[in-house]
Amino acid sequence: MNITFMQLLSGMVVSVEIFLLTLLFALPLGLLVAFGRMSKNKILQTLVKVYIAIMRGTPLMLQLIVVYFAPFYIFGLKISQGYRFVAVIIAFSINYAAYFAEIYRAGIESIPIGQYEAAEVLGYSKRQTFFRIIFPQVIKRILPPVTNETITLVKDTSLAFVIAVAEMFTIAKQISAKQASVNALMVAGLFYFVFNYAVAYIMEFFEKKLSYYR
Amino acid sequence: MEDNNLLRIEHIKKNFGDTGVLSDISLSVNEGEVVSIIGPSGSGKSTLLRCATLLTQMDDGNLYYGDMCAAKSVNGKSVYAGKDELKKIRQYFGLVFQNFNLFPHYSVLKNIIDAPVNVLGRSKEESEKKAAELLKMLGLAEKGDAYPCELSGGQQQRVAIARALALEPKILFFDEPTSALDPELTGEVLAVIRKLAANHMTMVIVTHEMQFAKEVSDRILFIENGVVVEEGTPDKLFSSDNPRVREFIGRMAN
Repeated sequence: MNITFMQLLSGMVVSVEIFLLTLLFALPLGLLVAFGRMSKNKILQTLVKVYIAIMRGTPLMLQLIVVYFAPFYIFGLKISQGYRFVAVIIAFSINYAAYFAEIYRAGIESIPIGQYEAAEVLGYSKRQTFFRIIFPQVIKRILPPVTNETITLVKDTSLAFVIAVAEMFTIAKQISAKQASVNALMVAGLFYFVFNYAVAYIMEFFEKKLSYYR
Repeated sequence: MEDNNLLRIEHIKKNFGDTGVLSDISLSVNEGEVVSIIGPSGSGKSTLLRCATLLTQMDDGNLYYGDMCAAKSVNGKSVYAGKDELKKIRQYFGLVFQNFNLFPHYSVLKNIIDAPVNVLGRSKEESEKKAAELLKMLGLAEKGDAYPCELSGGQQQRVAIARALALEPKILFFDEPTSALDPELTGEVLAVIRKLAANHMTMVIVTHEMQFAKEVSDRILFIENGVVVEEGTPDKLFSSDNPRVREFIGRMAN
Protein backbone atom coordinates (compact mmCIF):
# COMPACT_ATOMS: atom_id res chain seq x y z
CA MET A 1 0.00 0.00 0.00
CA ASN A 2 2.76 2.32 0.99
CA ILE A 3 4.74 1.59 -2.13
CA THR A 4 1.62 2.14 -4.22
CA PHE A 5 1.09 5.50 -2.59
CA MET A 6 4.68 6.51 -3.25
CA GLN A 7 4.24 5.52 -6.89
CA LEU A 8 1.14 7.67 -7.19
CA LEU A 9 2.94 10.54 -5.54
CA SER A 10 5.84 10.35 -7.98
CA GLY A 11 3.27 10.36 -10.80
CA MET A 12 1.72 13.52 -9.38
CA VAL A 13 5.11 15.21 -9.30
CA VAL A 14 5.68 14.36 -12.97
CA SER A 15 2.23 15.69 -13.90
CA VAL A 16 2.89 18.94 -12.06
CA GLU A 17 6.29 19.22 -13.75
CA ILE A 18 4.74 18.79 -17.19
CA PHE A 19 2.13 21.40 -16.31
CA LEU A 20 4.57 24.02 -14.99
CA LEU A 21 7.20 23.57 -17.70
CA THR A 22 4.55 23.74 -20.43
CA LEU A 23 3.23 27.04 -19.05
CA LEU A 24 6.78 28.35 -18.65
CA PHE A 25 7.56 27.76 -22.33
CA ALA A 26 4.15 28.07 -23.99
CA LEU A 27 3.14 31.45 -22.53
CA PRO A 28 6.12 33.44 -23.91
CA LEU A 29 6.27 31.33 -27.08
CA GLY A 30 2.57 32.03 -27.64
CA LEU A 31 3.24 35.76 -27.57
CA LEU A 32 5.95 35.38 -30.22
CA VAL A 33 3.61 33.27 -32.33
CA ALA A 34 0.90 35.93 -31.94
CA PHE A 35 3.35 38.56 -33.25
CA GLY A 36 4.09 36.31 -36.22
CA ARG A 37 0.38 35.80 -36.81
CA MET A 38 -0.19 39.57 -36.84
CA SER A 39 2.95 40.33 -38.84
CA LYS A 40 2.70 42.49 -41.94
CA ASN A 41 5.13 40.06 -43.57
CA LYS A 42 2.79 37.82 -45.56
CA ILE A 43 5.18 34.88 -45.69
CA LEU A 44 5.71 34.82 -41.93
CA GLN A 45 2.00 35.32 -41.34
CA THR A 46 1.11 32.40 -43.62
CA LEU A 47 3.70 30.10 -42.04
CA VAL A 48 2.35 30.88 -38.59
CA LYS A 49 -1.23 30.34 -39.76
CA VAL A 50 -0.29 26.89 -41.08
CA TYR A 51 1.49 26.08 -37.81
CA ILE A 52 -1.55 27.09 -35.75
CA ALA A 53 -3.88 25.15 -38.06
CA ILE A 54 -1.82 21.96 -37.62
CA MET A 55 -1.50 22.35 -33.86
CA ARG A 56 -5.22 22.96 -33.40
CA GLY A 57 -6.36 20.61 -36.14
CA THR A 58 -4.63 17.37 -35.11
CA PRO A 59 -4.83 15.41 -31.84
CA LEU A 60 -2.30 16.34 -29.20
CA MET A 61 -1.81 12.61 -28.66
CA LEU A 62 -0.63 12.25 -32.26
CA GLN A 63 1.64 15.28 -31.88
CA LEU A 64 3.23 13.65 -28.83
CA ILE A 65 3.97 10.51 -30.83
CA VAL A 66 5.35 12.49 -33.76
CA VAL A 67 7.65 14.59 -31.57
CA TYR A 68 8.82 11.48 -29.73
CA PHE A 69 9.64 9.46 -32.82
CA ALA A 70 10.79 12.31 -35.09
CA PRO A 71 14.50 12.11 -34.14
CA PHE A 72 14.54 8.45 -35.17
CA TYR A 73 12.44 8.60 -38.33
CA ILE A 74 13.71 11.90 -39.67
CA PHE A 75 17.31 12.01 -38.46
CA GLY A 76 17.95 8.32 -37.77
CA LEU A 77 18.99 9.11 -34.20
CA LYS A 78 18.66 6.64 -31.37
CA ILE A 79 15.98 7.75 -28.94
CA SER A 80 17.36 7.87 -25.42
CA GLN A 81 15.28 7.09 -22.37
CA GLY A 82 15.56 10.68 -21.07
CA TYR A 83 14.08 12.05 -24.28
CA ARG A 84 10.59 10.82 -23.35
CA PHE A 85 10.04 13.62 -20.90
CA VAL A 86 11.69 16.22 -23.15
CA ALA A 87 9.43 15.14 -26.01
CA VAL A 88 6.38 15.66 -23.80
CA ILE A 89 7.47 19.18 -22.87
CA ILE A 90 8.25 20.06 -26.51
CA ALA A 91 4.93 18.71 -27.81
CA PHE A 92 2.87 20.34 -25.09
CA SER A 93 4.68 23.66 -25.40
CA ILE A 94 4.31 24.02 -29.15
CA ASN A 95 0.69 22.84 -28.98
CA TYR A 96 -0.34 25.20 -26.20
CA ALA A 97 1.66 28.08 -27.69
CA ALA A 98 -0.67 27.90 -30.71
CA TYR A 99 -3.76 28.22 -28.53
CA PHE A 100 -2.23 30.93 -26.34
CA ALA A 101 -1.17 32.82 -29.48
CA GLU A 102 -4.77 33.12 -30.63
CA ILE A 103 -5.81 34.27 -27.17
CA TYR A 104 -3.05 36.91 -27.15
CA ARG A 105 -4.06 38.01 -30.64
CA ALA A 106 -7.70 38.43 -29.65
CA GLY A 107 -6.59 40.42 -26.60
CA ILE A 108 -4.20 42.65 -28.50
CA GLU A 109 -6.70 43.35 -31.28
CA SER A 110 -9.37 44.28 -28.73
CA ILE A 111 -7.38 47.26 -27.42
CA PRO A 112 -8.79 50.47 -28.95
CA ILE A 113 -6.62 52.17 -31.58
CA GLY A 114 -6.86 55.36 -29.51
CA GLN A 115 -4.52 53.85 -26.92
CA TYR A 116 -1.82 53.46 -29.59
CA GLU A 117 -2.45 56.96 -30.92
CA ALA A 118 -2.28 58.55 -27.47
CA ALA A 119 1.00 56.77 -26.80
CA GLU A 120 2.39 57.80 -30.19
CA VAL A 121 1.56 61.47 -29.67
CA LEU A 122 3.10 61.35 -26.17
CA GLY A 123 6.32 60.12 -27.75
CA TYR A 124 6.40 56.51 -26.57
CA SER A 125 8.48 54.18 -28.73
CA LYS A 126 6.77 51.14 -30.27
CA ARG A 127 8.33 48.91 -27.62
CA GLN A 128 7.27 51.19 -24.76
CA THR A 129 3.78 51.45 -26.19
CA PHE A 130 3.43 47.70 -26.23
CA PHE A 131 4.94 46.86 -22.86
CA ARG A 132 3.79 49.89 -20.85
CA ILE A 133 0.37 50.60 -22.36
CA ILE A 134 -1.00 47.71 -24.41
CA PHE A 135 0.23 44.48 -22.81
CA PRO A 136 -0.92 45.20 -19.22
CA GLN A 137 -4.43 45.79 -20.56
CA VAL A 138 -4.21 42.65 -22.70
CA ILE A 139 -3.38 40.52 -19.65
CA LYS A 140 -6.50 41.69 -17.86
CA ARG A 141 -8.68 40.90 -20.85
CA ILE A 142 -7.26 37.45 -21.60
CA LEU A 143 -7.21 36.04 -18.07
CA PRO A 144 -10.56 34.19 -18.40
CA PRO A 145 -9.66 32.35 -21.65
CA VAL A 146 -6.14 31.66 -20.33
CA THR A 147 -7.71 30.10 -17.23
CA ASN A 148 -9.74 27.86 -19.52
CA GLU A 149 -6.67 26.71 -21.42
CA THR A 150 -4.70 26.20 -18.23
CA ILE A 151 -7.38 23.95 -16.78
CA THR A 152 -7.48 21.96 -20.00
CA LEU A 153 -3.70 21.64 -19.76
CA VAL A 154 -3.94 20.04 -16.30
CA LYS A 155 -6.14 17.30 -17.71
CA ASP A 156 -4.15 17.01 -20.96
CA THR A 157 -0.99 16.12 -19.02
CA SER A 158 -2.51 12.63 -18.78
CA LEU A 159 -1.95 12.25 -22.53
CA ALA A 160 1.76 11.80 -21.83
CA PHE A 161 0.93 8.17 -21.06
CA VAL A 162 0.90 7.56 -24.82
CA ILE A 163 4.71 7.65 -24.89
CA ALA A 164 4.91 5.93 -21.51
CA VAL A 165 5.97 8.86 -19.38
CA ALA A 166 5.28 7.91 -15.78
CA GLU A 167 2.88 10.72 -14.94
CA MET A 168 -0.16 10.44 -12.70
CA PHE A 169 -2.55 8.78 -15.12
CA THR A 170 -0.01 6.26 -16.48
CA ILE A 171 0.82 5.06 -12.99
CA ALA A 172 -2.78 5.02 -11.79
CA LYS A 173 -3.70 2.86 -14.77
CA GLN A 174 -0.87 0.41 -14.09
CA ILE A 175 -1.79 0.10 -10.41
CA SER A 176 -5.43 -0.25 -11.24
CA ALA A 177 -4.66 -3.13 -13.64
CA LYS A 178 -2.43 -4.87 -11.11
CA GLN A 179 -4.94 -4.56 -8.26
CA ALA A 180 -7.96 -5.21 -10.48
CA SER A 181 -9.61 -2.21 -8.76
CA VAL A 182 -10.50 1.30 -9.82
CA ASN A 183 -9.29 2.87 -6.56
CA ALA A 184 -6.06 4.22 -8.01
CA LEU A 185 -7.96 5.78 -10.91
CA MET A 186 -10.34 7.43 -8.45
CA VAL A 187 -7.38 8.88 -6.59
CA ALA A 188 -6.05 10.17 -9.92
CA GLY A 189 -9.43 11.75 -10.66
CA LEU A 190 -9.43 13.46 -7.30
CA PHE A 191 -5.90 14.68 -7.93
CA TYR A 192 -6.88 16.37 -11.23
CA PHE A 193 -9.93 17.91 -9.61
CA VAL A 194 -8.04 19.38 -6.66
CA PHE A 195 -5.26 20.58 -8.97
CA ASN A 196 -7.76 22.39 -11.17
CA TYR A 197 -9.54 23.84 -8.20
CA ALA A 198 -6.25 25.37 -7.11
CA VAL A 199 -5.57 26.66 -10.64
CA ALA A 200 -8.99 28.31 -10.81
CA TYR A 201 -8.48 29.81 -7.36
CA ILE A 202 -5.11 31.31 -8.26
CA MET A 203 -6.42 32.70 -11.57
CA GLU A 204 -9.37 34.25 -9.79
CA PHE A 205 -6.93 35.90 -7.41
CA PHE A 206 -5.16 37.52 -10.38
CA GLU A 207 -8.45 38.60 -11.91
CA LYS A 208 -9.44 40.28 -8.67
CA LYS A 209 -6.07 41.93 -8.46
CA LEU A 210 -6.62 43.47 -11.89
CA SER A 211 -10.22 44.50 -11.24
CA TYR A 212 -9.18 47.92 -9.93
CA TYR A 213 -9.86 49.41 -13.38
CA ARG A 214 -12.20 48.88 -16.28
CA MET B 1 8.61 83.58 -42.13
CA GLU B 2 8.05 85.34 -38.85
CA ASP B 3 10.21 84.55 -35.87
CA ASN B 4 7.38 83.40 -33.66
CA ASN B 5 5.86 81.05 -36.21
CA LEU B 6 5.28 77.66 -34.58
CA LEU B 7 3.44 75.67 -37.21
CA ARG B 8 3.23 75.87 -40.96
CA ILE B 9 1.14 73.54 -43.06
CA GLU B 10 1.39 74.22 -46.77
CA HIS B 11 -0.75 72.88 -49.61
CA ILE B 12 -1.66 69.71 -47.81
CA LYS B 13 -3.42 67.02 -49.84
CA LYS B 14 -4.84 63.80 -48.50
CA ASN B 15 -6.96 61.21 -50.29
CA PHE B 16 -8.60 58.12 -48.89
CA GLY B 17 -9.17 56.00 -51.97
CA ASP B 18 -11.00 58.00 -54.63
CA THR B 19 -12.66 60.52 -52.35
CA GLY B 20 -10.53 63.57 -51.73
CA VAL B 21 -10.48 64.46 -48.07
CA LEU B 22 -8.13 67.43 -48.07
CA SER B 23 -7.23 69.40 -51.15
CA ASP B 24 -4.71 72.18 -50.84
CA ILE B 25 -5.15 73.46 -47.30
CA SER B 26 -2.56 75.74 -45.75
CA LEU B 27 -2.43 76.90 -42.15
CA SER B 28 0.12 78.91 -40.25
CA VAL B 29 0.01 79.39 -36.48
CA ASN B 30 2.03 81.92 -34.53
CA GLU B 31 3.07 81.76 -30.92
CA GLY B 32 0.26 82.62 -28.53
CA GLU B 33 -2.42 82.30 -31.18
CA VAL B 34 -5.63 80.35 -30.74
CA VAL B 35 -6.96 79.02 -34.03
CA SER B 36 -10.29 77.22 -34.28
CA ILE B 37 -11.29 74.97 -37.15
CA ILE B 38 -14.99 74.62 -37.82
CA GLY B 39 -17.00 72.96 -40.53
CA PRO B 40 -19.57 70.24 -41.14
CA SER B 41 -18.94 66.56 -40.41
CA GLY B 42 -16.74 64.95 -43.02
CA SER B 43 -15.30 68.27 -44.10
CA GLY B 44 -11.76 67.12 -43.28
CA LYS B 45 -11.18 69.01 -40.01
CA SER B 46 -10.11 65.97 -38.04
CA THR B 47 -8.03 64.64 -40.92
CA LEU B 48 -6.21 67.97 -41.03
CA LEU B 49 -5.47 67.67 -37.32
CA ARG B 50 -4.36 64.06 -37.69
CA CYS B 51 -1.99 65.04 -40.50
CA ALA B 52 -0.61 67.91 -38.42
CA THR B 53 0.00 65.59 -35.45
CA LEU B 54 1.64 62.91 -37.62
CA LEU B 55 -1.05 60.31 -36.88
CA THR B 56 -1.93 60.23 -40.57
CA GLN B 57 0.51 60.74 -43.43
CA MET B 58 -0.49 63.34 -45.95
CA ASP B 59 -0.09 62.60 -49.65
CA ASP B 60 1.35 65.96 -50.61
CA GLY B 61 2.32 69.18 -48.88
CA ASN B 62 4.84 70.63 -46.44
CA LEU B 63 4.73 70.50 -42.67
CA TYR B 64 7.01 72.58 -40.47
CA TYR B 65 7.22 72.98 -36.72
CA GLY B 66 9.35 76.02 -35.86
CA ASP B 67 12.48 75.50 -37.95
CA MET B 68 12.04 71.75 -38.06
CA CYS B 69 10.71 70.15 -41.23
CA ALA B 70 8.40 67.18 -40.64
CA ALA B 71 7.50 66.68 -44.30
CA LYS B 72 8.39 68.31 -47.56
CA SER B 73 6.76 68.01 -50.94
CA VAL B 74 9.02 66.41 -53.51
CA ASN B 75 7.62 65.86 -57.01
CA GLY B 76 4.06 66.11 -55.75
CA LYS B 77 4.53 63.74 -52.84
CA SER B 78 5.23 64.39 -49.17
CA VAL B 79 8.56 63.03 -47.99
CA TYR B 80 8.75 62.69 -44.23
CA ALA B 81 11.76 63.35 -42.04
CA GLY B 82 13.69 60.50 -40.40
CA LYS B 83 12.58 58.69 -37.29
CA ASP B 84 14.78 60.69 -34.89
CA GLU B 85 13.72 64.02 -36.32
CA LEU B 86 10.04 63.05 -36.10
CA LYS B 87 10.56 61.99 -32.50
CA LYS B 88 11.93 65.46 -31.75
CA ILE B 89 9.02 67.06 -33.58
CA ARG B 90 6.48 65.05 -31.56
CA GLN B 91 7.78 66.76 -28.43
CA TYR B 92 6.89 70.08 -30.00
CA PHE B 93 3.13 69.54 -29.83
CA GLY B 94 0.45 67.86 -27.75
CA LEU B 95 -2.94 66.47 -28.73
CA VAL B 96 -6.16 66.15 -26.78
CA PHE B 97 -8.51 63.54 -28.25
CA GLN B 98 -12.27 63.49 -28.52
CA ASN B 99 -12.39 60.24 -26.54
CA PHE B 100 -9.69 61.23 -24.01
CA ASN B 101 -7.72 58.02 -24.58
CA LEU B 102 -6.41 57.96 -21.04
CA PHE B 103 -4.53 54.82 -20.02
CA PRO B 104 -7.12 52.95 -17.91
CA HIS B 105 -4.61 50.83 -15.99
CA TYR B 106 -2.73 53.88 -14.71
CA SER B 107 -3.86 56.24 -11.98
CA VAL B 108 -4.44 59.89 -12.87
CA LEU B 109 -1.00 60.82 -11.56
CA LYS B 110 0.69 57.97 -13.43
CA ASN B 111 -1.12 58.95 -16.64
CA ILE B 112 0.43 62.39 -16.32
CA ILE B 113 3.99 61.52 -15.25
CA ASP B 114 4.58 58.32 -17.20
CA ALA B 115 5.60 60.03 -20.45
CA PRO B 116 7.75 62.77 -18.84
CA VAL B 117 9.61 60.09 -16.85
CA ASN B 118 9.87 57.35 -19.49
CA VAL B 119 9.98 59.37 -22.70
CA LEU B 120 11.78 62.55 -21.67
CA GLY B 121 13.81 60.94 -18.88
CA ARG B 122 12.78 63.47 -16.24
CA SER B 123 13.02 62.60 -12.57
CA LYS B 124 9.97 61.16 -10.87
CA GLU B 125 9.97 63.77 -8.09
CA GLU B 126 10.14 66.70 -10.49
CA SER B 127 7.39 65.20 -12.67
CA GLU B 128 5.13 64.54 -9.70
CA LYS B 129 5.55 68.09 -8.50
CA LYS B 130 4.66 69.42 -11.92
CA ALA B 131 1.70 67.03 -12.19
CA ALA B 132 0.38 68.22 -8.83
CA GLU B 133 0.52 71.82 -10.06
CA LEU B 134 -1.29 70.93 -13.26
CA LEU B 135 -3.98 68.99 -11.40
CA LYS B 136 -4.48 71.93 -9.08
CA MET B 137 -4.77 74.34 -12.00
CA LEU B 138 -7.35 72.07 -13.66
CA GLY B 139 -9.38 71.65 -10.46
CA LEU B 140 -8.41 68.01 -9.94
CA ALA B 141 -6.07 68.37 -6.97
CA GLU B 142 -7.74 65.52 -5.08
CA LYS B 143 -7.85 63.09 -7.99
CA GLY B 144 -4.22 62.05 -8.38
CA ASP B 145 -4.80 58.55 -7.00
CA ALA B 146 -8.10 57.95 -8.80
CA TYR B 147 -8.35 55.75 -11.89
CA PRO B 148 -9.87 57.08 -15.13
CA CYS B 149 -12.91 54.79 -14.78
CA GLU B 150 -13.77 56.52 -11.50
CA LEU B 151 -13.96 59.95 -13.14
CA SER B 152 -16.66 61.75 -15.09
CA GLY B 153 -16.06 62.45 -18.78
CA GLY B 154 -15.29 66.08 -18.03
CA GLN B 155 -12.75 65.11 -15.40
CA GLN B 156 -11.19 62.54 -17.74
CA GLN B 157 -10.80 65.14 -20.44
CA ARG B 158 -9.16 67.53 -18.00
CA VAL B 159 -6.73 64.77 -17.01
CA ALA B 160 -6.01 64.26 -20.71
CA ILE B 161 -5.24 67.98 -20.99
CA ALA B 162 -2.93 67.75 -17.96
CA ARG B 163 -1.21 64.74 -19.51
CA ALA B 164 -0.55 66.70 -22.70
CA LEU B 165 0.61 69.81 -20.81
CA ALA B 166 3.03 67.80 -18.65
CA LEU B 167 5.28 67.41 -21.69
CA GLU B 168 5.35 71.21 -22.08
CA PRO B 169 4.30 71.34 -25.73
CA LYS B 170 4.74 74.59 -27.60
CA ILE B 171 1.46 74.02 -29.36
CA LEU B 172 -1.58 72.07 -28.24
CA PHE B 173 -4.15 70.53 -30.58
CA PHE B 174 -7.70 69.70 -29.58
CA ASP B 175 -9.77 67.28 -31.66
CA GLU B 176 -13.41 68.02 -30.78
CA PRO B 177 -12.57 67.96 -27.07
CA THR B 178 -16.16 68.21 -25.89
CA SER B 179 -17.99 66.11 -28.49
CA ALA B 180 -18.11 63.04 -26.21
CA LEU B 181 -19.42 65.03 -23.25
CA ASP B 182 -22.82 66.01 -21.87
CA PRO B 183 -23.61 69.72 -22.18
CA GLU B 184 -23.19 69.92 -18.42
CA LEU B 185 -19.64 68.59 -18.54
CA THR B 186 -18.74 70.48 -21.71
CA GLY B 187 -18.61 73.72 -19.73
CA GLU B 188 -15.87 72.59 -17.35
CA VAL B 189 -13.61 71.51 -20.20
CA LEU B 190 -14.21 74.72 -22.16
CA ALA B 191 -13.41 76.70 -18.99
CA VAL B 192 -10.04 74.98 -18.82
CA ILE B 193 -9.29 75.78 -22.46
CA ARG B 194 -10.28 79.41 -21.86
CA LYS B 195 -7.86 79.49 -18.95
CA LEU B 196 -5.08 78.17 -21.19
CA ALA B 197 -5.93 80.80 -23.81
CA ALA B 198 -5.69 83.50 -21.14
CA ASN B 199 -2.20 82.14 -20.34
CA HIS B 200 -1.29 82.54 -24.04
CA MET B 201 -1.04 78.85 -24.79
CA THR B 202 -0.81 78.32 -28.54
CA MET B 203 -3.75 76.14 -29.55
CA VAL B 204 -5.46 74.70 -32.59
CA ILE B 205 -8.98 73.57 -31.78
CA VAL B 206 -11.36 71.56 -33.92
CA THR B 207 -14.77 72.21 -32.43
CA HIS B 208 -18.51 72.34 -32.94
CA GLU B 209 -18.99 74.84 -30.11
CA MET B 210 -19.61 78.02 -32.12
CA GLN B 211 -20.01 80.42 -29.23
CA PHE B 212 -16.86 79.08 -27.60
CA ALA B 213 -14.88 79.33 -30.84
CA LYS B 214 -16.02 82.90 -31.25
CA GLU B 215 -14.94 83.86 -27.74
CA VAL B 216 -11.63 82.09 -27.47
CA SER B 217 -10.16 82.25 -30.98
CA ASP B 218 -7.89 84.78 -32.59
CA ARG B 219 -8.67 83.22 -35.93
CA ILE B 220 -11.22 80.76 -37.29
CA LEU B 221 -11.01 78.54 -40.36
CA PHE B 222 -14.20 77.30 -41.95
CA ILE B 223 -13.47 74.09 -43.83
CA GLU B 224 -15.80 72.27 -46.17
CA ASN B 225 -15.11 69.48 -48.68
CA GLY B 226 -11.44 69.60 -47.91
CA VAL B 227 -10.85 73.25 -48.67
CA VAL B 228 -10.76 76.41 -46.55
CA VAL B 229 -13.94 78.23 -47.47
CA GLU B 230 -13.26 81.21 -45.27
CA GLU B 231 -10.63 82.26 -42.77
CA GLY B 232 -10.34 85.25 -40.47
CA THR B 233 -11.11 86.78 -37.10
CA PRO B 234 -14.22 85.53 -35.29
CA ASP B 235 -15.97 88.80 -36.10
CA LYS B 236 -15.22 88.38 -39.78
CA LEU B 237 -16.45 84.77 -39.81
CA PHE B 238 -19.59 85.45 -37.82
CA SER B 239 -20.56 88.33 -40.10
CA SER B 240 -19.54 86.55 -43.27
CA ASP B 241 -21.19 87.28 -46.62
CA ASN B 242 -20.65 83.71 -47.74
CA PRO B 243 -24.10 82.08 -47.58
CA ARG B 244 -22.61 78.64 -46.81
CA VAL B 245 -20.70 79.99 -43.79
CA ARG B 246 -23.73 81.94 -42.58
CA GLU B 247 -25.97 78.93 -42.90
CA PHE B 248 -23.57 76.63 -41.03
CA ILE B 249 -22.92 79.04 -38.18
CA GLY B 250 -26.61 79.81 -37.89
CA ARG B 251 -27.49 76.13 -37.75
CA MET B 252 -24.76 75.26 -35.21
CA ALA B 253 -25.58 78.19 -32.96
CA ASN B 254 -29.00 76.71 -32.26
